Amino acid sequence: MRIGVYVCHCGLNIASVLDVEELRRFAESLPGVVVARDLQFTCSDAGQDAIKNDIKELGVEAVVVSACSPRLHEPTFRRTISEAGLNQYMLEMANIREQCSWVHMEEPALATQKAKDLIAMAVAKASLLQPLESETMPVSRDVLVVGGGVAGISAALDLANAGLRVYLLERKPTIGGYMALLTDVFPTNDCSICVLAPKMAEALAHPLINIMTYSEILSIDGSVGRFTVSGVRKARYVDESACKGCIGECAGVCPVEMPNEYDFSIGKRKAIYMAIPQSVPLVACIDENACIGCGRCEEACPADAIRYDQQDQEFRLDAGAIVVATGWQPFDAKRKEEFGFGRLRDVLTTLQVERMLNAAGPTGGEVVRPSTGEVARSIAFLQCVGSRDQTVGNLYCSRICCMASLKNSQLIKEKYPDADISIHYIDMRAGGEGYEEFYLRAQRLGIRFVRGRASSVEQGEDGVYLHYEDTFLGRSVRKRYDIVVLSIGLEPDSGADVIGNVLGLARRPDRFFEIAHPKMRPVEAHIDGVFIAGCASGPKEIQVSIAQGSAAASKAMQLLIKGELDLDPTVAYVDQDRCIGCKLCVDTCPSKAISVKGTALVEEARCKGCGTCAAACPTDAIKMRLFTDEQIMAQVEAATAVKGEYPFIVAFLCNWCSYAGADLAGTSRIQYPTNARIIRVMCAGRVDPSFILEALRRGAEGVLVMGCRIGECHYVKGNLQALQRVQVLRSVLEKAGLDPRRVRIAWCAASEGDILARTVKEFVEELKDLGPVGTELMQAADQAIRPGLTDKADPNKKPPNGAEQKEA
Amino acid sequence: MKLAYYPGCVARSTGKEYDLSTRAVAQALGVELEEISDWNCCGATHCSNQDLAVALSARNLARTGLPVMTSCSICYSNLRDAAIRLQDRTLRDRVNRVLEVKYQGSTIKHVLEVIMEGLEGEEGGKRVVVPLGGLRVAPYYGCLLTRPKGGIDSPEQPQVLESLIRRLGGEPVEFPLKMLCCGGPIFMPQDGAASESVLRILRSARQAGAEAVVAVCPLCHLMLDAKQRLAEAKSGEELGLPVLYVTQLAGIALGLGPDELGLEMNSVSALEVAEEIYRRMSGEQQC
Amino acid sequence: MAETEAIGSGHHMTNQTGREFRDLAIRLAGDEVKTCIQCGTCSSSCSTAHLMDASIRKLVQLVLEGRKEEAMACESIWLCTSCLLCTVRCPRGIRPKAVVSALRQIFEQEGRRNKDQAFERLFMDQIKSCGRISEFMLSAVYPLKNPLSTVPIMEMGIELMPKGKIAWQISCIEGISEIRRIFEEMDSQ
Repeated sequence: MRIGVYVCHCGLNIASVLDVEELRRFAESLPGVVVARDLQFTCSDAGQDAIKNDIKELGVEAVVVSACSPRLHEPTFRRTISEAGLNQYMLEMANIREQCSWVHMEEPALATQKAKDLIAMAVAKASLLQPLESETMPVSRDVLVVGGGVAGISAALDLANAGLRVYLLERKPTIGGYMALLTDVFPTNDCSICVLAPKMAEALAHPLINIMTYSEILSIDGSVGRFTVSGVRKARYVDESACKGCIGECAGVCPVEMPNEYDFSIGKRKAIYMAIPQSVPLVACIDENACIGCGRCEEACPADAIRYDQQDQEFRLDAGAIVVATGWQPFDAKRKEEFGFGRLRDVLTTLQVERMLNAAGPTGGEVVRPSTGEVARSIAFLQCVGSRDQTVGNLYCSRICCMASLKNSQLIKEKYPDADISIHYIDMRAGGEGYEEFYLRAQRLGIRFVRGRASSVEQGEDGVYLHYEDTFLGRSVRKRYDIVVLSIGLEPDSGADVIGNVLGLARRPDRFFEIAHPKMRPVEAHIDGVFIAGCASGPKEIQVSIAQGSAAASKAMQLLIKGELDLDPTVAYVDQDRCIGCKLCVDTCPSKAISVKGTALVEEARCKGCGTCAAACPTDAIKMRLFTDEQIMAQVEAATAVKGEYPFIVAFLCNWCSYAGADLAGTSRIQYPTNARIIRVMCAGRVDPSFILEALRRGAEGVLVMGCRIGECHYVKGNLQALQRVQVLRSVLEKAGLDPRRVRIAWCAASEGDILARTVKEFVEELKDLGPVGTELMQAADQAIRPGLTDKADPNKKPPNGAEQKEA
Repeated sequence: MKLAYYPGCVARSTGKEYDLSTRAVAQALGVELEEISDWNCCGATHCSNQDLAVALSARNLARTGLPVMTSCSICYSNLRDAAIRLQDRTLRDRVNRVLEVKYQGSTIKHVLEVIMEGLEGEEGGKRVVVPLGGLRVAPYYGCLLTRPKGGIDSPEQPQVLESLIRRLGGEPVEFPLKMLCCGGPIFMPQDGAASESVLRILRSARQAGAEAVVAVCPLCHLMLDAKQRLAEAKSGEELGLPVLYVTQLAGIALGLGPDELGLEMNSVSALEVAEEIYRRMSGEQQC
Repeated sequence: MAETEAIGSGHHMTNQTGREFRDLAIRLAGDEVKTCIQCGTCSSSCSTAHLMDASIRKLVQLVLEGRKEEAMACESIWLCTSCLLCTVRCPRGIRPKAVVSALRQIFEQEGRRNKDQAFERLFMDQIKSCGRISEFMLSAVYPLKNPLSTVPIMEMGIELMPKGKIAWQISCIEGISEIRRIFEEMDSQ
């Protein structure tokens, strides 16, 4: 390999601390290097031209730029060399600015020595680089939206308006979701269905939207760009194209009456029914579990639309992306037995009151006492029923219930100003535009706010009695109400389990779907090509669900609009001869990119290149195309070749957080000891224990592994896997007689340059105490772990004063 | 079936008839009881050092390999709480350091559970030879039969006693204070508070139309039965509500005699309840 | 001192006694205590709340704020019947009853005395010396500590005696030395 090395002055940023000329001379002496130059600003046009020129004139095959962080200029130089006809992956950078000149300003000599090591490491890796080709893949431009609530409808409309075809799939007989059932909505108190129905109609009329109601997904195969979806359209026993939606004719003669789930059992419906008057599609549906087959609806239907012989129909479709908008389900209030729901008639839920308040609902807009049928004049709202409650396993706040009770209490109070309404709360949560003002409005209307979570409801002769402590007054109270309304929380829809399982979506401890990053990637799943919108990823109010629907649509557009996908070549692949089909990698992969049929196979479109599988593979059958084992081992070898200081540390830093943290330490000029030689990996989970052992075996006093903070890993839990491996390795080292403290693992965010600096400093101090890594112990370790390799130990590294013996 | 039996301290004093009827009912159901050897007090509700409380229960549990049955709700709650907390390795090791027989896990049953199991199915149904004839019984649960949660029934709205009463041919009355604390644990230092609770509970049962109350704990029983007469005397209110142990009520239905069940030992006459049941049965037979 | 605390100098958390009290109580009652949100579920579930000067919710806050003397002075500590309803219902998984137990234990350990503590002490001493409880012995000795209890105890005795439900004798269990070892080990911190 003909390698060119370019040592950058970066003006005085590098040159004022490091001896650039010496670095250049050193680089020139390295094996494979055909040219080494020092350049004022390598990233300038002149600098880039110099590189291009050498590629053309001198036949340079791999380029090492010794300058700033690859996180800053790797894309620049990749472009540079590819413009000169070289494959863009034939580039390696030595970070002698952020990791040397900016952080070791007071120690130019040691910093220069460290820079030499970094250059040698880069050259060693460069000599093993392989050209990689990005492939493109044609993709389906159709999108499947799962869930026809307001989030799904928003996503579908945005996608279709941008020209993409959408399948909008809904499990119920109508789209609209919970929003279609609500009365007025906060914080504006405008009518819910009045603002939603036009959107539902627009979706129905849109030529690019195919609405599939009463349908469920059975399986999904494939990956980003080419998902294959199969499902079933349940028989509704009504011909959708024939039904005119008049409903009065058929339901009028149906003899079967049952509690209406769309009124949350407050009202009744027939076996043939339409969920809501605004149903989309406006088509009747026969409940096959309730129908007695009397045939009266068939006789009554003026359009001859009844089809008792209709069958469930399976369907298949292709989609390039999937938007999961499966929404939520209400907490089952019966689980809080002390509140008596289902046992005491006058205890209701928020959703029941929503239906009562709805002018088109079962009580014509009146909130009534079910026990008497009279309008309720004293009403208590109990907040946090099924939310913030460990006894039912829901630790989270459901976020919308405070506002919903504020809204419902206002609606009642406006109609009946003398009504006695109290809201029993732990904390009123009204964070959102116009929300606090909304709270204020409720207070002004004369609604009582009682700070204390009610403990139980019991039936008295004249009404229901509430037990609570007014915690501000410190007084326990038993008070009569006409009705008690349980402000039930939101749980993930259990109907979404199927799609969660077939896609392999991760769930948070609260059981909602987990998004790729809790802050920065709010609508992306861990799986490429899958987006999550609305309450599927946690409780949200309508406006946020709409925003997420649009955001998910926009992400899907970016992905599919070109009709083809660039595949990143820096992925994993499997050496089929070595694979033993143990499936360890399948569980390890955060992107569900590996499947095993006999041997393992990596679906490259899904793989994100973290390398955790490669570290986990017991037979080293999984290889990475970049950051290969051989390249990393070569870096370790080059780093430890001279060992120009003591104690000597080899550090593995993950690209996203800890390496970025090191960069920040540089740009912040945080000074720390020069002892560490940093090797960049994509994820801490990439660090194979053999890398660590190799570094120790070659005489490093310590090895540092750093990853993102727990819970913040860019590959979900690569850092946890790294931790697990390091812990196992430590116990092995201890058994072999080596102090386990020589391997340290730590976490640091990209914003924590100070933590990185402190970690290195502390580790250096600790290693000083431990003394140089000892020959005898090394031999012991080698015999335990790698028999037959003991002869390579360097006799010069014997402990000078027996410090190591303390460990033994 | 064979079970280890943990009688608890009151079995030898204020709860003698509970112990007597428990043994009689177990025999009638074909359950062999083996009293735990040299058992100790569980600390009841008076052991503030919670680790000590766990250790005291652990000693009892460790002394048998059989599932442990007790009829006292306080003992039952303490044994269960100990079993739950002993899942913690550190605590278990600490406790086992001082135990002569080491604790290795245990199953705990209340006598109510054993009765319910004995009455299951057709076979069990045949055992009810003296059905209660629609006797209206107030099921008094007290606190600790169902707490900590995860035991015999819901800690909020249990139904197991209602099921039992129905199974025995009685009619459970719905009385709101079936879970209200009797105040027993503090009655010595805080007599007034306890008396008030007793009156409220019995009043609630009476208003619900109960002819008798069934209790599952000797302390609840002491408060509702023995204390009833004293509370009546003080308040001038007449309640006269017989309070039977669950084993006494079940025992009558299983055809056991008043002597075997210690019915004469109750303060408010339990014999009259038995006689009423016999009267109803013979009345039915005549019809 | 109580007065300055009532005004709210907040010094109880900066002084060592306050902090030590808080830490000890939390250690005894469980770390979850720190997560209390003062929602009042425990206090409004409490069957003896109407008798209490400070509700169980307030006791938890006194612990978290390190207000030792105020907490120790609450009669509420002794009014808990251990019904566990607070513990079943607490939405944070705290065991409020364990907080009461912790406070009783600290009260006892510090050599503080009152009539309620005396009853507990008698009860536990009897287990320590015999392994089991005799209500007769308790009834005979307790009135010496709390004369007000004499009448109700006598009344109860008169009620039970004719039924043969008083055990006059108390015999120690065989494993009493093991019981003492249990007490020693579990009383040590």
